[in-house]
Amino acid sequence: MLENTLKKLASVEPKKMITYPLIIFLVSVLLLAVHFPNLGTDLKGGVVITLHGGNADSQEVENLLKQQGFDVTVREIKSITGDTRIEIKASTDVNVQKIISIVKSKYPDVTISQTQFGPSLSRTAQEQSLKAVSMAFIGMAVVVFLFFRIPLPSLTVIFSAFSDMVIALALMSVFGLELTQATIAALLMLIGYSVDSNILLTTKLLRRKEDTIEGAYFSAVSTGFTMSTTTLGALASLWVLSQAEVIDMIATVLIFGLLADFMNTWILNAGVLRWYLQRGEKR
Amino acid sequence: MNLKKLLLNGRVLLLILVILISIITIASQGITYGLDISGGVEITTQLERPVDQGTMEEVRTSLETRLNTLGVKDITLEPWGDQIIKIRVANVTEEEANSIIDTINRQGVFYAEFNGVIFATGADIKRVDQVYYEPREGAWIVPFSISKEAAEKFAQLALGKVGYPVDIFLDPPIDSLLIVPQELYSLMSSSEFQFSSDAKTLPSRLKEAFNIDVVPYGNQSIEEIAKLAQGKEKVILVEVNSGLESQLKNLGIKVEERELRAGETADDFVRRILGLYGPYRLQEGLTTGEPHTDLAISIGGSKEDITAMKQAQVVSVVLRSGSLPIKVFVEGVNYIPPTLGEQFKKQVLQAGLAALFVVGLVVYLHYRKVKIAVPVVLTSLSEVVAILGVAALIKWNLDLPSIAGIIAAIGTGVDQQIVITDELLGGIKVGKITKRSGILKRMGRAFFVIWASATTTIVAMSFLFRFFVGGLRGFAFTTILGVLIGILITRPAYAEIAKVLLSEKR
Repeated sequence: MLENTLKKLASVEPKKMITYPLIIFLVSVLLLAVHFPNLGTDLKGGVVITLHGGNADSQEVENLLKQQGFDVTVREIKSITGDTRIEIKASTDVNVQKIISIVKSKYPDVTISQTQFGPSLSRTAQEQSLKAVSMAFIGMAVVVFLFFRIPLPSLTVIFSAFSDMVIALALMSVFGLELTQATIAALLMLIGYSVDSNILLTTKLLRRKEDTIEGAYFSAVSTGFTMSTTTLGALASLWVLSQAEVIDMIATVLIFGLLADFMNTWILNAGVLRWYLQRGEKR
Repeated sequence: MNLKKLLLNGRVLLLILVILISIITIASQGITYGLDISGGVEITTQLERPVDQGTMEEVRTSLETRLNTLGVKDITLEPWGDQIIKIRVANVTEEEANSIIDTINRQGVFYAEFNGVIFATGADIKRVDQVYYEPREGAWIVPFSISKEAAEKFAQLALGKVGYPVDIFLDPPIDSLLIVPQELYSLMSSSEFQFSSDAKTLPSRLKEAFNIDVVPYGNQSIEEIAKLAQGKEKVILVEVNSGLESQLKNLGIKVEERELRAGETADDFVRRILGLYGPYRLQEGLTTGEPHTDLAISIGGSKEDITAMKQAQVVSVVLRSGSLPIKVFVEGVNYIPPTLGEQFKKQVLQAGLAALFVVGLVVYLHYRKVKIAVPVVLTSLSEVVAILGVAALIKWNLDLPSIAGIIAAIGTGVDQQIVITDELLGGIKVGKITKRSGILKRMGRAFFVIWASATTTIVAMSFLFRFFVGGLRGFAFTTILGVLIGILITRPAYAEIAKVLLSEKR
């Protein structure tokens, strides 16, 4: 079945093939313009107190703290394995120790972890993130150019990586994931994964000597699908089995990005390359 | 026959060697876990403004000196750049973590006390000069100067009191009740801390100057202790407990505990509990009633005596930290209860194993060959072992992001093994291209893809490693490490193994 879909895809006019991923890219950009993912505590500053285990109920906790005059937001996070944790968020000027002691006296069984980020630390983190992401992206672009030395295919690889990141960001916004240092690291990691599959495709198509374009494309797709499935499998087990928030976040963003990469590599990049090669052959 | 040839292959040998060394390193050194796994608190402190390295070191030492009085073990302080100091304390309860935060937030409180009277505080220290060695006295000298008012007060107090003790305190436990074992009480009241029999004893000096009561523990009832604790801010139990802590807490009294550390002498223990430096013997020249603003503390010892020199430096830091050279703020706190970290570790291990299994399964389903699935899984596993080996060797703090990085690196690793396998299989399928040159060309193409993607990943991640202060450096570090080990060691070895295994059957 997959093969048939692919055959259909391979016979589609390249320009038409390119349109869909571009539309999705534009939709994502629009979505981000309307609603950019919220900044996490480590980038915005603030306090997060997390209650693990015990029998606490998020609504109860919220009422309890609001009664005492604390300005907090409380949410419950259920993991797939059935465990729940409750996150209490507040601004930095709140009395953390007081909140903890209130919660502890009501629910003695919970385990409590806390994270605080002061305003200047979060500002530093923001600046660093911005710097890290932009430099990493430029670095990636330079490396890709150095390896291929042909403008159009290189640009496509770079654009695919960019689009992967944008779509992953848009999905984060849709699913309410916050932009934190962890998710930024995952977005950067996407660069690696994205370049992986795109370089594979580009190499196969440009350097093919013994195959037709279609043959090379199929062989690349078959390799690429196996690659992505194994990675998705590994990430999914990470996501399912671990309750550590950092790990969950990194895994989720990578999964989003890999799904976007499926499309961007095998449809967008493949389309551009086919068009590029056809044009070359016509000449 | 093939197996023997395979084992003698240089690249395969290298892989085996690396794995063996890694296993030995992990077994002998053990893996250091980050706080998010071992539990504990990480506090990010920020200085008011960027400082030079010398000042940074001074702030670090003085913070360390102050935190050491708290009686918590395993404190590490690590300067980051020119404005941040990260403080990590492993395995602490929430209360301990909070008292550490309090101590940092409080500016260093410095007192100079003589015979039960405080004559100078941090604000009176005007200058602290370089520590030097004075051969004539046979001592290390810490010169400093105090304000005119403090000098005048001191001159009056010290009139005619040659040889009396002068105490310096940094963050003493003001307004508290100290319950100490009998021996420690005797030591505190001995000439060790009194010098001249006319001078007041240390416990009475503490009482008069700081409202600190020192009481020897003789099985007093909880009511008696609670009564003694009236009007005090907290009770400090020194090497005594037998259930006192929880009972006092139930009465709503703030309790802290102090314990003797391995290798610590009783003298040093007393000093640490009190935040006491000295006492120093009052020299004759200062007892004439004349005010002196330039003073010095001398610590006897030879020029080669490192202990004496270090002590002099600590005193110098203490004098300065009475007014820390720069304000320090707690900017970030990350507290993970030890039990929770343990749970995370278990989950991550399970997730890692599950990931390997899934990878093996997918690879098997794709190729329908156990011969490929098993080597792929084994290669990935060996990559994990090698990364952990390096981490153990350099004592890298393996935190959760680091582990996520390992798994991400494995992800790319498997991707690349699949590229190699497909190139090899492709060659076989076409049939005619089993010639060596054909395989070489295909391998070349596979490795072009591998090198290109590895380079981009390393470039992207190195910016993360370079620019982040946060815990995500761990993610970047293990990813880069994994990719490097992959392209240099495991991938070439896998290519050799796959070549043999895949050509064999035909």
